[in-house]
Amino acid sequence: MKKLFMCFVLALGFIFVVSTAWAGGGGGPPKNMLKGVFVKVNKDRTADFKVDGTGEIKHLILSEHVDLEEIPLERKVLVSLITDEKTHEITNEVKSVSIMFMDLTPAKIIALLVVGLIGGLLSGFIGSGGAFVLTPSMMSLGAPGAVAVASNMCHKFPKAMVGAYKRWKYGQADIKLGLFMAATAIIGVQIGIQIQKYILNHWGNAGSNLYVSLMFVIVLVVVGIYVFLDAYKLAKGGKEAETTKIAKKLQSINLPPMIHFKTAGIKISAWFTIPVGIATGMLAATIAVGGFIGVPGLIYVIGASAMVASATELVIAFCMGMWGSIQWGLSGLIDIRLTLLILAASLIGVQLGALGTTYVKDYMIKIVMGSVMLIVAVSRGAKIPGYLADLGLRAPLDPSTASLLNSISFWALVAALGTAGIIISAAMIRGMLQARQGTN
Amino acid sequence: MKKQKAKGPLAIKTLIFGALSGLLYYLVFSNEDWITTTYTMGGWHTIYPVGTALVFSFVHGAFASNLLSLLGIEAKSSH
Repeated sequence: MKKLFMCFVLALGFIFVVSTAWAGGGGGPPKNMLKGVFVKVNKDRTADFKVDGTGEIKHLILSEHVDLEEIPLERKVLVSLITDEKTHEITNEVKSVSIMFMDLTPAKIIALLVVGLIGGLLSGFIGSGGAFVLTPSMMSLGAPGAVAVASNMCHKFPKAMVGAYKRWKYGQADIKLGLFMAATAIIGVQIGIQIQKYILNHWGNAGSNLYVSLMFVIVLVVVGIYVFLDAYKLAKGGKEAETTKIAKKLQSINLPPMIHFKTAGIKISAWFTIPVGIATGMLAATIAVGGFIGVPGLIYVIGASAMVASATELVIAFCMGMWGSIQWGLSGLIDIRLTLLILAASLIGVQLGALGTTYVKDYMIKIVMGSVMLIVAVSRGAKIPGYLADLGLRAPLDPSTASLLNSISFWALVAALGTAGIIISAAMIRGMLQARQGTN
Repeated sequence: MKKQKAKGPLAIKTLIFGALSGLLYYLVFSNEDWITTTYTMGGWHTIYPVGTALVFSFVHGAFASNLLSLLGIEAKSSH
């Protein structure tokens, strides 16, 4: 009966996700991009381009940034067009050309499998994560940015589905709470996209990058420190986590409709779950990791335990991931090879992470989450000086400093993933050994 | 700890799902050109990547689950 109910709820969620994605409300790839093949490149720096899907031939002008000899004929490419700075309209001048499907060498395959495995482990344990390092990793291996984001999104929802199923079986995931949060998070995504568009129109690409990075750093540092300190106190005192004052207060306000979330053991007005869902969606639209606000929101505002919050986040990630994947798929930007290679390892990782939660105390999830958030904040913070220079708010960076900051940014992400992998594995092994000793 | 499941049937299930998963991966990567072209046509073709990801999550997910159980890595029974 419980399984039948789960299938019914998932089917409803699926229909909802498909219909909203089909309605096409924003999200997805940038509008200044064309996908297709070059059929002819002329010496006067013009080219004929066959657009994918419609078959329309477009006449493009190749800007000085493009090397004529590096343009492949009859091979699928992504073309980025220049946007007019004054009118913000997209021109037919090509800014850059990138080959859509990178060649997969054994080294690249191994790199994708390793990142997938640890990303999955993190996801199964804290409910989100992995995405923040997978996209930059794919880009550094040679995938164009939009393809990396799309392929990562398409791997996120099946991984989250498997993780959510496992943690539902362990009695940790609250499906009803997850679906509620996902529905409101999708509204939050739309608001987030509108804010992004406004900033892009007024301050251009550099302004948008600066906004994203500042949001990243502020949210991650503030929430990360709070989560980390809370976990530290619990670990030191050896006490069980208590519901926060604000969550208790909100739960006591009888504002219809009051909803009972059985697994989470909470009865709260729907009006209080909505802002958390919207904030999750807005953050997802801005920094692509909504879980960094979703999980703490569920713990500290709604009053769920870290165990239930991180499991429920997987339900949200499944809905949002499927919605996003359909959108990216409509634009034809998913490289399924990359998606499947990451999935090969992350489906193992996510189940390991999920079962790992049954061996640890609640605060361990908070420790991993807080540490990851703070290290990721360092990564994004390293990008800020460059964006400030792009906006003319500080002197341009010299090439060696720029390259150093880029390295710091990338390696901090790798460090975040590595640290999380080590903490989770150590906690899990210790828990398993203790459980085994207990039975002997 | 949970009572260990019978290893025999578990090994057979792991083998079946593993072989099926391997076959699916082989089919995708041996038809790489056709798949990458068709899957990125946009519009209703979105059903291909999304559907493929779902199929792999069931088959490969089941393989991974059985493999972990076969290796004795299972959730704590009190949960």
